Amino acid sequence: MKWQRKDILAIEDMSVEEIRHILHTAKVMKEILMRPIKKLPTLKGKSVVNLFYEASTRTRTSFEMAAKVLGADTTSIAVAQSSVSKGESLYDTAKTIQAMRADVVILRHPSSGSAKFLADILDPAVINAGDGQHAHPTQALLDIFTMQENLGELEGKNVVIVGDVLHSRVARSNAWCLQKMGVNVTFAGPPTLVPAEMEGLGVKITHDLDSALPGADIVMALRLQLERQKSGLLPSLREYSHLYGLTTERLKKTGKQSIVLHPGPMNRGVEISDDVANSVDALIERQVTNGVAIRMALIYLLIGGSSNVVA
Amino acid sequence: MWWLKDVWVIDPSQKISAPRDVLVKGGQVLGISSSLTEKEVLEKAQGESLETINGKGKFLFPGLIDVHTHLREPGQEDKEDILSGSRAAVRGGFTTIMAMANTQPPIDNRALIEFVCRQGERAGYAHVLPIGTVTKGMLGSELVEMADMKEGGAVAFSDDGKNIQSSEVMRLALEYAKLTGFPIISHCEDKDLAGEGLMRRGVASGRMGLRGIPASAESVIVARDLILAEETGGKLHLAHISTAESVELIRKAKARGVDVTAEVNPHHLIFCDEEIGITDTALKVNPPLGSRGDREALIEGLRDGTLDMIATDHAPHTQAEKARPFAEAPFGIASLETALSAVWQYLVLPGRLSLDRVIEAWSDTPAQRFGLTGGSLKPGTSADMVLFDPDFSEVIEPAKLVSKARNTPFLGKTMQGFPVMVWVEGRLVQRDRTVI
Repeated sequence: MKWQRKDILAIEDMSVEEIRHILHTAKVMKEILMRPIKKLPTLKGKSVVNLFYEASTRTRTSFEMAAKVLGADTTSIAVAQSSVSKGESLYDTAKTIQAMRADVVILRHPSSGSAKFLADILDPAVINAGDGQHAHPTQALLDIFTMQENLGELEGKNVVIVGDVLHSRVARSNAWCLQKMGVNVTFAGPPTLVPAEMEGLGVKITHDLDSALPGADIVMALRLQLERQKSGLLPSLREYSHLYGLTTERLKKTGKQSIVLHPGPMNRGVEISDDVANSVDALIERQVTNGVAIRMALIYLLIGGSSNVVA
Repeated sequence: MWWLKDVWVIDPSQKISAPRDVLVKGGQVLGISSSLTEKEVLEKAQGESLETINGKGKFLFPGLIDVHTHLREPGQEDKEDILSGSRAAVRGGFTTIMAMANTQPPIDNRALIEFVCRQGERAGYAHVLPIGTVTKGMLGSELVEMADMKEGGAVAFSDDGKNIQSSEVMRLALEYAKLTGFPIISHCEDKDLAGEGLMRRGVASGRMGLRGIPASAESVIVARDLILAEETGGKLHLAHISTAESVELIRKAKARGVDVTAEVNPHHLIFCDEEIGITDTALKVNPPLGSRGDREALIEGLRDGTLDMIATDHAPHTQAEKARPFAEAPFGIASLETALSAVWQYLVLPGRLSLDRVIEAWSDTPAQRFGLTGGSLKPGTSADMVLFDPDFSEVIEPAKLVSKARNTPFLGKTMQGFPVMVWVEGRLVQRDRTVI
């Protein structure tokens, strides 16, 4: 297909064809990434700017690696969250970066919609590396890439996403992406974290994880922000763990050799037991590698232009 | 002297809605008659120069009274000031505006009340009537000197922008305001339920990951205030009602005889939460846009009189403030210049509301409730009037707006139906959409 999109902001407005094209491109990128000498001249002379308003090691490094493998120059701007209110506005910062002739701006920001806000202002491509509680499209794409590697075609498969869905951009982006790929998605968690309005995403909702597990091909645990207890959304981590923690015992209820995913970093003993965490370590490492491949694919598709790395 | 010929006059205070001829002389409405001959008019002019306006196809109604505007002066003149706000008012068809008290500093004493009055007179466009705060510094604990502020020109009391969280302070305010005869205007919002919310809690907020404000954040305080008004016998006016539950609570309270009135904002009658895009800060408003069901209930409430008035809640902000990610932009819609046209286009034209009801809710009713002059075209009253052309269309562009603010969801849109002539005390202050 001919790539036309200027930015990667959310999965919600992407077509299935685009998603498949990204996944296909990522496959090629992964092969390149696995080579002993992993450096391409493809994006030589292009510049990629990482603009991160939230702390992130994994995602930022992943984007940097991806851009470097493709031969682009990268700059990282880590903006402390506090300076947003007292300092330069996102609008002004964005204009400055544009004036420095960036080709791609990768944004992580605590406000939902900030990526689209930036994309509406800027000429360069914008990739959303997480905007508030709204979307984290590259995480969803790498999750699905990993699922496909393990399960092949995903259509008709069942995925249960467990945890703090209300505050999770990972859950939202995964729900859109999975459903577009024909996957049945269930959100599970306490009513305070999985409220009824989340049905608007088209998913099934349950507060009883155990009843949702039978037949699940993939179970994804979300990271529980420990401050949720303080704001009254849950009484204790103990009770949360009791009701929604993924344990070996509980996972038997799927009746399948299910895959467990976690966007990381994990709270061992809270949303995921130590033994389950240990058993999925290998997969998590693979997710990290796939993350670089997905981000290579996206940067390439956005600014690779006429070069033909992907035949 | 003005002779408005063959114009459709809507004056709910006299129950007129019919084609009439209207004469204005010496700043007052001289008379409204079925039709006049030139000879009769010239006799009445007694040699005074006469301007004749052919009103065919247009409406003439009392200058609108807006009981809820934020003029930002003193303290936030980058957003708006009393001069720009009162110019915006007359451009939009409002000849009297009540200025909310949440300025910096808040209008919590007589000196500040008199300052707002004075600035309004200096501006010389719409009548600017100040609302005082309920509590000193709008801190929600000690009542202001209501009697003294009334002497200074206050017309009501409100901590609008903030809810009075203490039920006891609200109860005392309703009691003490009896000394003035003025209503307490309540901004109903439970602070804990509203939390850090950005838009109405629902499917749309869930989808976009924008923190939600449940409908109950408004309705529980509406219920509280109605109970307090009933218990004290105090006068209560509820600002910007936005939920179906609130409408139902008010309907029942009125049936019990509670002394309550309520207003609704045009944007809550026109938009709903599903229409908010993730970067549409022009639709970020408090109380937030509700569901479709809420919108229907509000229209029904305005039709049956449960909701008494329309008010703009004109909330100007700078472009820089609104050009931010949704969470960081301030709440509010600037609406003085577009509100009447929006109501005409989105509610009257499709037959959801009659123009007669709209004018009543925006002129006579507010005048009655707040004891204001204006809102009527009775002979001998001050000629505050609007000539409305239902066919006049205009693109809403920054260059044309006289408010300092541009934060309207109608920016760039073509709207139809505008006030084309506006008089304050018989003096023409707006003609063909230009403020004079």
